[in-house]
Amino acid sequence: MTALRRIATVAFGVIATSAVAFGATGGGGRDGVKLPPFERVTLDNGVQLVLMPKRDTPMIAMTVLARGGSLADAPGREGTASLLADLTQKGAGSRDAVQFAEAIEGAGGSLSVGAGAESLVASAGFLARDTGLMIELVSDALLRPRLDPGEFEKARTLAIQSIAAAKDADPYPLLGSYGDAWLFRSHPYGRSVDGGEQSLAAVTLDDVRRHYRDQLRGDRLIIAVVGDFDRQDVAARLAAAFGSLPKADAAAPVVQAAPRVEGRRVLLVDKPGATQTYFWLGNVGASRTDPERTAQSVVNTVFGGRFTSMLNTELRIKSGLTYGARSSFDRLSQPGAFGITSFTTTDTTTQAIDLALATLDRLHADGLDDATLQSARTYLQGQFPPTIETNGQLAGRLVELLFHGLGRDDVDEFAARVAAVDGPAVRAVIDRSFPRSKDLAVVLIGDAARIRDAARKLGPVTEMKITDPRFAPL
Amino acid sequence: MNDPTRWILAPLLAALVFAAQAAPSSLPGADQIVARTLPNGLKIVVWPDHDIPNVAMYTWYRAGSRNERPGITGLSHYFEHMMFNGTTTRPPGDFDRVMEARGGNNNAYTSSDVTVYQNWFPVSATELIFDLESDRMRNLDFDPQVVESERGVVTSERRAVIDNDNFGTLVEQVQATAFIAHPYQIPTIGWPSDIEGWKVEDLKAYYEQYYAPNNAVMLIAGSVDPDEIFRLADKYLAGLEAQAAPPPVTTREPPQLGERRLRIVREAQTPLIAMAWHASAAPDRQSRVMEVLLSILGSGDSSRLHQRLVEKEQAAVQVGTSLDQGFDPGLAWIYAIVPPGFDSAKTERLIDEEIARIAKEGPTVGELAKARNQALAGFWRGLETISGKAQALGDYEVFHGDYRKLFDAPAQYESITADDVRQAAATVLRAGNRTVGVLEPAPTAEPVAENAR
Repeated sequence: MTALRRIATVAFGVIATSAVAFGATGGGGRDGVKLPPFERVTLDNGVQLVLMPKRDTPMIAMTVLARGGSLADAPGREGTASLLADLTQKGAGSRDAVQFAEAIEGAGGSLSVGAGAESLVASAGFLARDTGLMIELVSDALLRPRLDPGEFEKARTLAIQSIAAAKDADPYPLLGSYGDAWLFRSHPYGRSVDGGEQSLAAVTLDDVRRHYRDQLRGDRLIIAVVGDFDRQDVAARLAAAFGSLPKADAAAPVVQAAPRVEGRRVLLVDKPGATQTYFWLGNVGASRTDPERTAQSVVNTVFGGRFTSMLNTELRIKSGLTYGARSSFDRLSQPGAFGITSFTTTDTTTQAIDLALATLDRLHADGLDDATLQSARTYLQGQFPPTIETNGQLAGRLVELLFHGLGRDDVDEFAARVAAVDGPAVRAVIDRSFPRSKDLAVVLIGDAARIRDAARKLGPVTEMKITDPRFAPL
Repeated sequence: MNDPTRWILAPLLAALVFAAQAAPSSLPGADQIVARTLPNGLKIVVWPDHDIPNVAMYTWYRAGSRNERPGITGLSHYFEHMMFNGTTTRPPGDFDRVMEARGGNNNAYTSSDVTVYQNWFPVSATELIFDLESDRMRNLDFDPQVVESERGVVTSERRAVIDNDNFGTLVEQVQATAFIAHPYQIPTIGWPSDIEGWKVEDLKAYYEQYYAPNNAVMLIAGSVDPDEIFRLADKYLAGLEAQAAPPPVTTREPPQLGERRLRIVREAQTPLIAMAWHASAAPDRQSRVMEVLLSILGSGDSSRLHQRLVEKEQAAVQVGTSLDQGFDPGLAWIYAIVPPGFDSAKTERLIDEEIARIAKEGPTVGELAKARNQALAGFWRGLETISGKAQALGDYEVFHGDYRKLFDAPAQYESITADDVRQAAATVLRAGNRTVGVLEPAPTAEPVAENAR
């Protein structure tokens, strides 16, 4: 979601890569890589602390997750949580916005705060010698943001303009925002986490303050610290910094599972002059805690999760229709989207989409042979360890596990769970978790004048312009 | 889940990290780094790190779009794709299939200067990876059907990163305008007519000329025993034959005689500005100074350009800097995304004012210290992973001539003074030394910010 806010991480000079960057998105080491030891503490006000000392580099990382996120945004005010995230660093505690930025950057540290659908997450990384400063800055940002009216106006304007800029850039990163909106519609998962231009314009500073007061409370916080630190010292600092925060009065937002889409519906987003069509084919998928998540990951690895996947083999390797095609599960508390994404030259829009649909049909018809299943298991196991290599990755993983009520066995037993995925388990998740090609929400971004007919072949079409100030049609 | 399918492009700055205070002795495992050069000229550097049971193997070839000419622009990058597409002993697709089945993953990138192949795999697959690498270094095949299909893939890639991305379009045009003689003018992805035009013979000639062991370096970081790595190298790589060194790139860009400007008008909501100045080559001390200068100007929310343009004047949605660092003098960049409906000329004037100010007054003591601390932390962050270690070793071995110079960077950094920074601003960031590109929205486009209110 932060893709919208970070448009110009532009490449100067380095052009691209052969293989699309497929990394494993779940899994465990073949040799059973384990989480290093950690300790859990719950403060009286409900703040959960996780401490993992790890002394291989003189660095420290801290991640704070605050339950809430854009699910707590009022309808029509999407982007409230995201603006709060932006404002946490625009003046907090004893520092104004410039002083706050100078404190972070002067120490060579990093601190980012971003909103997700279900939480606000602050991630910090500092040299170990600046541990005290890091805890001070993170707690100031989350507990003492100034929420200054002038800074609010600037942040809101910038957020709106950033979306306009993103729409001028490669549209690929926008597919998920349109896809979620079109798939989930009025369900809370359909809201754009960062808001749209129109909803952002409607957000007031009072909305932001209310979100802050209702959600950023003790019993909503999970804090993980990983790196080179003294356990007692950091535990004491965290207790002092976060221990007096009151519990929440308001209820945490809850969400029910969305129903799957039946039949097809097509959203055509007109980007005049585009020479490629960017497409997204999706349906409601699976949650983070789905008991069948390991088998789903194995099947998705084969279908669209690695370079030699069925989708990339058909659309890229064999036909040269695209630079890349893939599929993924967006795993939240409840099932998020399962989406297939790719892009192709305008003239081959129908050919590429039909091939993607046929490949989905083939998955349902043929399943996986034994050699492919074994390859996918080994791949997931082999690619897992680098996902928990750095302090920041470990801190992020720890808060994510606690947020979803998962234990260390989610990591430690993964290799074994992957090894246990067999033929019947594969067949079961293909039937249950992967959509049929007849039941899909479809998004196409491209030159509508040239692909309107192609869109109509897929199902009933709703059309909007990419410059419309929202991600969903009216 | 992370952002999918991101072949997109990390700024070069992120790849080149420098330390302010790190000493080699304090780098975990740094004293265990071992290097050996095979008789055929292939140098192999190994950094043992047993944190996770995995290995990162990066193979760098000194071959990039700088080695191209009209007619074959983009060939280095296209060749990179072909390195995955079959050998005389393994059919197209086998390289990836076999590697993935043993738990490995791979990627590659091409720049103006180099082509880099990356393998990430569990240590159990190490011998297999050596076998696969040596096979494609020795036996690459060019199936005509695959050559044609891969053309379509590259065309799609070009459309995604250049043609359908306004920033990609602008940067390509500025780079091609800034150089009138040196092949850094060539876009690494290649001009469209060349992507359509190159032939199998061009690929074969390129393979012979550039993909020789003496034109490559291999960096390995991870849970390995160097002796075992060198045993595998002897078995799989020592038999590759050295070739005559490729022809050197001898053209030097003549001094620029005056400012160059270009203006692109196209469908857009946000105007864009990209400015590029001729700067220095990677190993020059001046490149360290330029890093500090550009960091003070544009790195982070406390930087001068961000504070002035984004926070104070609301004349930019985003502003940033970047520095090319290759074999030959490259470009220093300042870029800005201008708010919809805003006059880009005003944004440009503000950038000029900030350049003039630092060229006259230099940086403050605090700014210099900040730039050092950012570099130090960046250095550690870059070495947190086995991939980062392999990348850093490659940067220094290839661009600085010796991987051990990685550990000299702190001292180089410490030696930079405020006056160095001021002088660099005055001598490099001159109007007569730059190319300015502006992308303006076509008149029909409606700025969305206004609709939204």
